[in-house]
Parts: sequence; structure tokens; C-alpha cells
Amino acid sequence: MKLFRRGRVLQATFGCNPNSSSLGVDVTFLLFGSVCASMIAIFLGALLRGETK
Amino acid sequence: MRVARARMEQFGGIVELERPRALLHVDREMMRELGYKGSPLWEQPAGPLSAPTEVHVVLSRRCAAGCRGCYVDATPQGAALSCAEACRILDELAAMGVFHIALGGGEALELDYLFAVAEHARAVGITPNLTTSGLGLDEGAARRCRVFGQINVSVDGVGKAYQAARGFDGYRHAERALRLLRAVKREVGVNCVVSRSNFDQIGEVARLVRRLDLNELELLRFKPVGRGARLDEELTPEQGKRLWPMARRLVWRHRIRVKLDCSFAPMVFWHRPSARAAAFFGVQGCVAGDVLAAVQPEGHFTGCSFISRPEADARNLREAWPNACADIRGYTRSAPEPCASCEYLHLCRGGCRAVSQAHGRFMDPDPGCPRVQEYRKLRPLPVVAT
Repeated sequence: MKLFRRGRVLQATFGCNPNSSSLGVDVTFLLFGSVCASMIAIFLGALLRGETK
Repeated sequence: MRVARARMEQFGGIVELERPRALLHVDREMMRELGYKGSPLWEQPAGPLSAPTEVHVVLSRRCAAGCRGCYVDATPQGAALSCAEACRILDELAAMGVFHIALGGGEALELDYLFAVAEHARAVGITPNLTTSGLGLDEGAARRCRVFGQINVSVDGVGKAYQAARGFDGYRHAERALRLLRAVKREVGVNCVVSRSNFDQIGEVARLVRRLDLNELELLRFKPVGRGARLDEELTPEQGKRLWPMARRLVWRHRIRVKLDCSFAPMVFWHRPSARAAAFFGVQGCVAGDVLAAVQPEGHFTGCSFISRPEADARNLREAWPNACADIRGYTRSAPEPCASCEYLHLCRGGCRAVSQAHGRFMDPDPGCPRVQEYRKLRPLPVVAT
């Protein structure tokens, strides 16, 4: 049986940065730590796959 | 959810979503699942991105406001890209696969071709975003601002604090601009430069963001460049340590979205947040010449808009990109102490190169980093024989 590894979302940046001097990074999610990151990665991955069906 | 477009990268690809508006880095398996067969980039070793994801287009050094700390040293007669030059550069960026541009200056709204440039960006598939002081914005211009993605108005303080920070009494204009823009679109926020003087008044700006139902507060670190080099407004070491707890407090207390600019990375990482979460949400230090690049009004491009060193003519960005900003990209391989032994080096990348440059040595660790400050305090200065 061939093992199939599902694709992963490695990084997510939300919104657009309007600031023409520096990169603005959303730190709101950072407050919730790596568990939040993992859950969002799984959720976005599922959404992306749903998009291709 | 809608995928707007995607770009191949060595690790897989970058996918732009329209709703929720996001850029996702995904691995090769996910790109295959999305229907992409492969890319020559997948055969190459890991390196910087094939193109920046966002480019800051400093349309002009022209502005009538005369803010005392203006980092581009804007004046009423400053240099500007023409509409044709700006559009030609946008064509180049679109061909590279750039997703977003941030238009600024100078005061971009003073340019009568600003909206033509923004519409051209949309036509070639790039999302244009804008920073403005809001001075002179009327209802008609606000309606035309629907062409932009995110628009932030610069507000460094509320009421008298605005005047103290910027050197002129423009708060009423800024608040009016925010109201006019918010009436026509959702993606409106505030840019606030955090300096030594206004550090303890940022809560007032957060309250304004909440009161006007804006979608973000972006905190920017004061940098001693442009006219700012004449001011003594860099954060104190104590303020540097308090920055991340303050940002967290603003999120919880005011229930608003808070963004920090890349130069604040050392102040965040000093508090040892989850490195995995930081990597996932793109929280990182100097990404000049990798995630971002800047186009200057004189027509050349730089790693970011604070870095004065020209890399090449912006019209040749595509050709110049693979070899641009080599020293910045290579910082993590040759970082001096205390960066070399820092567990966050690959995220922080030594902090802000522009601040290090302003302090005399471009490739030194960021002097505003609490870890660097502690390290230097413990190490005696070298004795120089005379």
C-alpha cells in the first residue's frame, strides 16, 4: 500500500500590510501559541482542499 | 474562500486567498493537491523567496505636512516617481509574482495620479495598499479609495499627543479621514509610530481604533533615519522590554487586532514566545531582500524603504533579485554574538538592519534588542591604544 502524505500549510499571514516602511505582522494569534497555529494550519489546509474539489 | 492566485517556491508555493485575505506558504504536496504539477524551483536548494511577496513603493518624498521625524525626509518639492515610471515598475513586479504593494511616501494622496497607479496595480493582479496622513482627504477621494486593499492613517497620538509626536496639529484631519474611509470600506486601520515620548499613550490610540471600529492597529518602531536621526526618540531599554506585554494588553483590553512591524522582532523574541507559532504566523525580523523590497522615488530598489543602499534600477528588479541583498540574507550564517547563540536567530535575523546602520554598523546586531543590550553591559568595551 502506498502511503500518501497530505499537504501542509507552513505559514499564514493574514490581511495586507499598508505600511510602506516595514512589514507588519499580526501578533494577535501569537498570543495563543503553537496549538492555535496547528489548528489554523489544519483548518486552512482543509479549506484549500475543499476549494479544489 | 477563494484562491486568487499562487506562485511556486522552492519549498512548495505561496497561495493568495481573497477571503479571508491571506498569504499561505504551503508545501509541495499541497501544491500538487491544488493541481500544480511541479516546478524547477523544487529541484533547487533552500534559499530566499523567488520574488518578494510585498514591495513598498515610496512614490515620492513630497509632503506638505513636514512631520518632525519623517523617515523619508519629505518636503513639498521632494522627488517623485512619475505615473508612467510607477506603472512600468508595477508591470515588472507583476511579472515576478509580487502579491501586494504598499504605496506611501511622502504623502501619496498629494499625487494626482495615485489612483491611476492603484488601478494599474489591480489591472496587473497586485493588491495596492496605502498609508496616508489623511490630510486633504475629502468624501470623493475616500470613495475612490475603495480601489485599495488595506488603508492605514498615521496617528501617533490622540489630540495634543498627535501634535507633540508629529510637530503639527493634524489630529482632527486624521480622525476625519478615518471616519470618511471607514464609511466606505472595512479595511481601514491606524499606523502608530511608537517612540520614547508617546510610549505610555498608545492605549489612547488603541481606544480610538476600537471606537471607530477599525480593523487594525499597526505599531511601528521609531527609527533614527531621515529627519528622525535628529531626534532622541528611540525606545529606552526598559520600554523595549515592555513593548510585547503592552501589545498583548492592547489586544485583550480593547479587543482589537494589533500588528507589529518587523523591526520589533527582537523585543518580541526576548520574551520567548512559541517559536513554532511565530514561524507559522510570519513573525520575523529583517526580511529585506526576501519577503519584501522597496522602490525609491529616485527609481532604484532597496531591501526595505529604511535602507538607503541602492541595489539596482527598479525596472530591472527581476534580473537583480537573485543576487540582491546578499549580506542581509546571509546574516544568520555569519551572525556575531549574542545573535549567534540566540535560539530565535533564524526568526529574528538580528533585528532591524536600518537601525543598526543608523548606529554606525549595518551588519551589527540590533542595538535595541534587550539581549544585545544585556550582552554589551556584561562585556567590557575593548581598550583602544592611542
